[in-house]
Amino acid sequence: MRLDGPVVTGERTGVSTISSSTAPAGQVRVEVRGLTKSFGSVRAVSDLGFTVEPGQVTGFLGPNGAGKTTTLRMALGLITPDSGTTTFNGTPYAQLTEPTRQVGAVLETAFHPGRTGRDHLRVYCRAAGLPVSRADAVLDQVGLTPAGRRKAGNYSLGMRQRLGLATALLGDPAVLVLDEPANGLDPEGIQWLRRFLRHLAHDQGRTVLISSHLLSEVEQTADRVVIVGAGRLVREGSLAELAADAGAGTVQVRSPEAARLAAALSAAGAQVQTTGPDTLTVTGASTAEIGHRAFVDGVELHELHGRTSGLEETYFRLTAGAEQYSAGSPDTTTPGSAA
Amino acid sequence: MTARLVRAEWTKLTSTRVGLWLVLVGCLMAGGFTALFTGLAGAENGTPAVGTEAFSQLIAAIPAQVTIISLVLGVIGMTQEYRHRTATPTFLVAPRRGRVVLAKVVAYAVAGAVLAVAVVATTVVVASVYGAARGGAPDWSGDTLGVLLRSGLALVVYAVIGVGVGALVRNQVAAVVGSLVYLFVVESILRSVPATSGAYKFLPGGALEAMTATFEGPDLLTAWQGGLLLLGYGLLAAVLGTLLAVRRDVV
Repeated sequence: MRLDGPVVTGERTGVSTISSSTAPAGQVRVEVRGLTKSFGSVRAVSDLGFTVEPGQVTGFLGPNGAGKTTTLRMALGLITPDSGTTTFNGTPYAQLTEPTRQVGAVLETAFHPGRTGRDHLRVYCRAAGLPVSRADAVLDQVGLTPAGRRKAGNYSLGMRQRLGLATALLGDPAVLVLDEPANGLDPEGIQWLRRFLRHLAHDQGRTVLISSHLLSEVEQTADRVVIVGAGRLVREGSLAELAADAGAGTVQVRSPEAARLAAALSAAGAQVQTTGPDTLTVTGASTAEIGHRAFVDGVELHELHGRTSGLEETYFRLTAGAEQYSAGSPDTTTPGSAA
Repeated sequence: MTARLVRAEWTKLTSTRVGLWLVLVGCLMAGGFTALFTGLAGAENGTPAVGTEAFSQLIAAIPAQVTIISLVLGVIGMTQEYRHRTATPTFLVAPRRGRVVLAKVVAYAVAGAVLAVAVVATTVVVASVYGAARGGAPDWSGDTLGVLLRSGLALVVYAVIGVGVGALVRNQVAAVVGSLVYLFVVESILRSVPATSGAYKFLPGGALEAMTATFEGPDLLTAWQGGLLLLGYGLLAAVLGTLLAVRRDVV
């Protein structure tokens, strides 16, 4: 089942403009070029460049401390890069005429604790010149209407995430940027968020960029991924490409006639590894191909499932160096005694 | 553009209770001082006797004693963006941050005016009722009216200064504590040391004193010079804050 993702993705990539008719303000491509930023002597982001396409969900992946948040904040004009640019259809964020109506962003759950969620949204309606009725509309959109008149300080983490998302949606933007949106959401909320983001991208043609430090979190949502490590681009491409990069996925097979099936599969060109008296690990053949082979040869199957751990392993391998870096080697963390 | 940012600031201010509390505290302080001064009127080592012009003007200058509340109002208005990290959504909506500071200056001048009306009304009511009970309500005309209006105006100007200080310092606690230390410790020292007392009239405290001066005290500017100088300090802090602090990275 999980192997479906990349396959569908591949098809979708080619026809990304097909369902753009309901896109709010035309499609917007985000281009990040040569972003570089140092904080003191620490280089947070180095010559980072990638493109975020409309009509797709792009996952922005990297271990903690890889520079994801810094990059997103630079893209949105909150941090001034040392060099490099980010443009939305060619225009930097700070020069967009009505930024709220073109780009919506959730960078952190930032609210005044004494203000109700609804009032929080009304503040930004006023600032963006939107009708205050949008506040109720987006509360409804994220399922937060019942809590709208409660103080945001009493919200659960999941409710805060929803309010942040509601804030981003106020201007009905063509681009959505979300920094670790799944943090604090319960499993049901994560399911909802996945469907919601895919709907926004695939059905409405919006550009969706979500950051995460976990591949598994964006694996079922994202069409493409941009992977960073230690502030540098590590890999950019569709999940299908990334999976291919890892080598074909492996398939786990259990059969009382394992040896006979192994011989048949080997003859068909797959690499077969016998991992137990009745279990095989197969590379180079899909579950469908293996099932078909067994059916044709009359081999009884007890278990047949594809493993995408190849993808996960690739991600770990790609970012391994960066993780060691972010763990903090003695020379990067200077103990400052401010006391 | 800036007009809608001003409305947004007003919505921020009226959707939490901080502003309301500060107005209440300001009114309590002004009412308390007024009652105290009226109660001590004519007593030995007390305030001038009720019914005299000196008494009327002393009471009329009371709202200017509440400028600290006005200052805190402005400081919180600016620094809450950093304290509660709402600077992020605020600057996302308005990437030209100078406009946000300008909108706050305007919105908090209005808020300072609301505070001023409440504080001046409290002062007038308490002094009129209690003064009459003690044999002579202040005469709210002529010079007394001028002093009363100028002390109200001082509250407006101090709210603007608060926004400016907040923009410059950004840390809420540091901005409030720093302002208090400056006003109550640093300035009173500068005022009393002969070598620096000449410069006192150009400092915020001296300018405030000039706005509401009722008798010939230390060497001061005229009321209008003092008011404009104070406003200048507020706007200078706002401009410097925008250039030096508000433009910095919001991480």
